[in-house]
Amino acid sequence: MSKAKNIFFVGKGGVGKSTSAALNALFLVKKGFQVLLVSLDPAHNQSDIFEKRLSDKPLEIAQNFLVTEVDQEYWIKQYLKDVQNQINKTYSYLTAFNLDRYFKVIKYSPGLEEYALVLAFNNIQRDFSHFDFLIFDMPPTALSLKFFTLPTLSLIWTEHLLALRQEIIKKREIITKIKLIKKEVERDKVLNKINESKEDYLHLKEIFEDADKTHIKLVLNPDKLSLAESIRILNALQDININLNQIICNKMQTASSRADIDKTFVNTPILNFPNSKTPLIGINNLQQFLKMNGDQLEKQLNAC
Amino acid sequence: MNPIIRDMKDKIVGALKIADGVLRGKAVDTIEFELEELDHVFGLLVLGSYVGIPSPPMQISLDLMPFMEKELILMMKKVDTANEPISDLFSVLDID
Repeated sequence: MSKAKNIFFVGKGGVGKSTSAALNALFLVKKGFQVLLVSLDPAHNQSDIFEKRLSDKPLEIAQNFLVTEVDQEYWIKQYLKDVQNQINKTYSYLTAFNLDRYFKVIKYSPGLEEYALVLAFNNIQRDFSHFDFLIFDMPPTALSLKFFTLPTLSLIWTEHLLALRQEIIKKREIITKIKLIKKEVERDKVLNKINESKEDYLHLKEIFEDADKTHIKLVLNPDKLSLAESIRILNALQDININLNQIICNKMQTASSRADIDKTFVNTPILNFPNSKTPLIGINNLQQFLKMNGDQLEKQLNAC
Repeated sequence: MNPIIRDMKDKIVGALKIADGVLRGKAVDTIEFELEELDHVFGLLVLGSYVGIPSPPMQISLDLMPFMEKELILMMKKVDTANEPISDLFSVLDID
């Protein structure tokens, strides 16, 4: 069983999710934990923040600290290649008529972006289950919400298809019985596949809903637009039974007011990330920022 | 046993077997039709995006597609009778 705790950083584009994720990761590393920071945002920022060339293969930035940027295209291609191979195997007789080429278009299937993130997430969960924390720097709102909604939505479909398939199998058995057909009971491959998928989606949904395994941190700035979108994120997550664990109020200036934010998120701990005077680029600057805001930040992070 | 009697017995048993088969076939005609329609509904639900019907999340369709050869063939077959669904139903129910 995985001991790793997942921390997701969500929020409107440009509020500072990547920097907050990087700071949180370094904070946990400093505490002695083993941390993997994963960028699931197709427009990756972690390479720029750490000034390193990052890829799908995790790179050690410091002791007990790895960073990776998920290649969404790779996961889509890999998945479609598997589907294509399976189709070619099943419909191998089509090669006799050279009809198999018509299936080649499958590799251009759209609408798999969030599923690619799920595949990457599952892969990371499997390979880094021994880590203490897996920190995910998420894409902006639309894709993030699609990612979190995927298991719930897919479960609605799989359960409906499962019921229909069971009805079909029942009818088929009645016909076989009445017609006295001596037929070996063959396992319905479609039913098996639906059951298999259902298990996977259930598992994923459980991970997202389990407060011991998953923490969601919503990053926002003290401005109206950012707050409005954050409220939409909160509502969308609540609809699918996922709780927000922390609000990170980023780029706080002395004159900034948190009153509206405090009023909106009454039951969620709110953490202040002060505005940095120097750009938070490079591991040294990030560490320096943590050091400068040390006590106050540490107190707040420990409280969450 | 007398060969004539045995021959007669075989013929009667044969006739009964045919009658049994026909009756059993008749008995499941309607269920078979219903089953075919259910198969068709299943195919449409999973692969409906090809004909403009709202489809499940793409990965569900793609995961099941390799195993849905029968449903694909049925969907192609249905194209021929799609204009006369009522006549198709009447022929199953033996209504002239």
